[in-house]
Amino acid sequence: MTALLQATGLEKSFVSRGRTVHAVADVSLALRPGEALGIVGESGCGKTTTARLLLRLEEPSVGRISFDGADITHLRGRALLPYRARAQLVFQNPFDALNPRFTIRRSLTEPLRNFGVPEAEHAARIDAVLHRVRLTPPAAWLERRPHELSGGQLQRVVLARALIPGPTLIVADEPVSMLDVSVRAGILNLLRDARDSLGLAALYISHDLALIRYVCERTIVMYLGRIVEEGPTAELIASPAHPYTRALVAAVPVARVDQDRGPLPIRGSLADAPTQGPGCPFRERCPHAFARCTTDTPALRPIAPGRTAACHLDGVPG
Amino acid sequence: MSPPATSILEIRGLTVDYVTSVGPVRAVDALDLSVPAGSITSLVGESGCGKSTLGRALMGVLPDRGRITAGEVLFEGQDLQRLSPRARRDIRWRRMSFIPQTAMNALDPVQRLSAQMQEVLIERGGLKRAEAAARAAELFRLVGLEPARLAAYPHQFSGGMRQRASIALALALSPTLVIADEPVTALDVIVQRQVLDVLREMQARLGLSMILITHDMAVVAYASDRVAVMYAGQVVEAGPVAEVLERPLHPYTMGLTHAFPDVHASDMALVPIEGSPPSLLHPPPGCRFAPRCPFADARCMAEPPPMRPFGPDHLVACWHAEDAADLRTRAAEPATWLAATWLPIA
Repeated sequence: MTALLQATGLEKSFVSRGRTVHAVADVSLALRPGEALGIVGESGCGKTTTARLLLRLEEPSVGRISFDGADITHLRGRALLPYRARAQLVFQNPFDALNPRFTIRRSLTEPLRNFGVPEAEHAARIDAVLHRVRLTPPAAWLERRPHELSGGQLQRVVLARALIPGPTLIVADEPVSMLDVSVRAGILNLLRDARDSLGLAALYISHDLALIRYVCERTIVMYLGRIVEEGPTAELIASPAHPYTRALVAAVPVARVDQDRGPLPIRGSLADAPTQGPGCPFRERCPHAFARCTTDTPALRPIAPGRTAACHLDGVPG
Repeated sequence: MSPPATSILEIRGLTVDYVTSVGPVRAVDALDLSVPAGSITSLVGESGCGKSTLGRALMGVLPDRGRITAGEVLFEGQDLQRLSPRARRDIRWRRMSFIPQTAMNALDPVQRLSAQMQEVLIERGGLKRAEAAARAAELFRLVGLEPARLAAYPHQFSGGMRQRASIALALALSPTLVIADEPVTALDVIVQRQVLDVLREMQARLGLSMILITHDMAVVAYASDRVAVMYAGQVVEAGPVAEVLERPLHPYTMGLTHAFPDVHASDMALVPIEGSPPSLLHPPPGCRFAPRCPFADARCMAEPPPMRPFGPDHLVACWHAEDAADLRTRAAEPATWLAATWLPIA
């Protein structure tokens, strides 16, 4: 099947204190229509920058992005408007995502106006989307303002605002990290339902592999701006191939009494990571690094059907 | 039920009010809790449940609007409420210390870490300069930092290193009790695990008592021996972690255990707890969880359930604890919680 969203060789560099820093290096990925893909990694791994590039909130330094077959890499201004309607972002922080002076009705009307939806359709679209995010009856919510809503209710409005233009892709960057535990599940279930019933493609960005597993069938692991592993989420968690993925999986906290409390298979800290030059970006922290890891940057290569990893080791290290 | 043989902290009927423009908000309400010596006790709950207020009240560092209005806190047998401010200050650092959520709140950004360590060791601990330098190096080694890094400023450290430094600072004067408020919340998973390992190791090696305040059941499971689950200013369930996690007695605890995903579980259905916690300005008259509880009946709505023992060392405040086994089965079904759709959406 052809990809809905395809990125090839994306690179984004910034100049910081006279040095060039690659926030994202050589990222290629494809998202099929209706598929949910997760990007997981720690702060600074480039996952949020990748999402911003894919949404064209930033322009890549190198590489190409296409959506539905059309090249959108360098579109600007009004030329991006059709893409904006079809690829929507769900903001991380519901407490500052909405204009505090706008009623819910106005927050939901703005995107309809921006994307040129005929006024006659507004009321029906707003009613439908509020039902979808279970803020019912809609009339009870329309005239409220953000300060009258709880975090979970706000995030439902934020989700409604992303869905109302009728996108084919939603991008959610840490969609529940600001919410209380007891309401997170409700939002995650809504995201899953919206995707299933509307056939949306979804890109989730999170540091939380457990959340990614709940909502994504395929996952990309990033480390220092590069993709180090990609595969079906369940397989990637059950048998992580890249040594960094292994450490990441081992570190995910689980609410179980019986669990492995042994040391993580990782050395040092992010501060020890090499930032420039050839070699594997993970080598200083890798318990399995050998000579070749300091000279050759490992490329992503197939390791099993549907799975790739960027590691010189043969097979899953033991 | 008698409290565990040696408890380092006995909290009885502790009540903390905040003065607000709309009236007093009771953030902690007649709370009883016993913290055994030589173990890690977690306080777990959502934002606004009173866990951080409790931690601050124990440390004697409530914000100006906050007041302890009733109850007592016995620390190593001594009633903290009866101490003079000076005696209270002497306890801080020396016998009881605090690790805040963001290490930046514990560390002074314009001072080298060595100077901050010395300030505590010399001015509070009465050590001589050379002793303080040796002790600072020892503390850094203890938490896994290079002693040479004492010369650094906090901003030169990563988040994990800063949290290690603030742990070293908290341990400086060998306190018997350390209170850590969300110590790993702001950290990435790998660093989170490493910092929790430092805390566990310190606790075991130094025989500390520790209170770990967190919203995360997984942090509770990984790092603590005992847990007290808080809801709307009260403890609703308390006991050994294995007991509370595997055989929860309170419907709120049951709900929490199904409320977030498990990385190793395929095909799990997350079950949200509908509604939101009550206003502490006008809490409901009966059980505070009743408006969100799928098992609540008329009595739950009218009468607050007392905390009572259930099995060895396990306490719960629920009128239906006798039926807990049955409720656990029903609580695992999403339909059970969805049935309460008359509730306002969270």
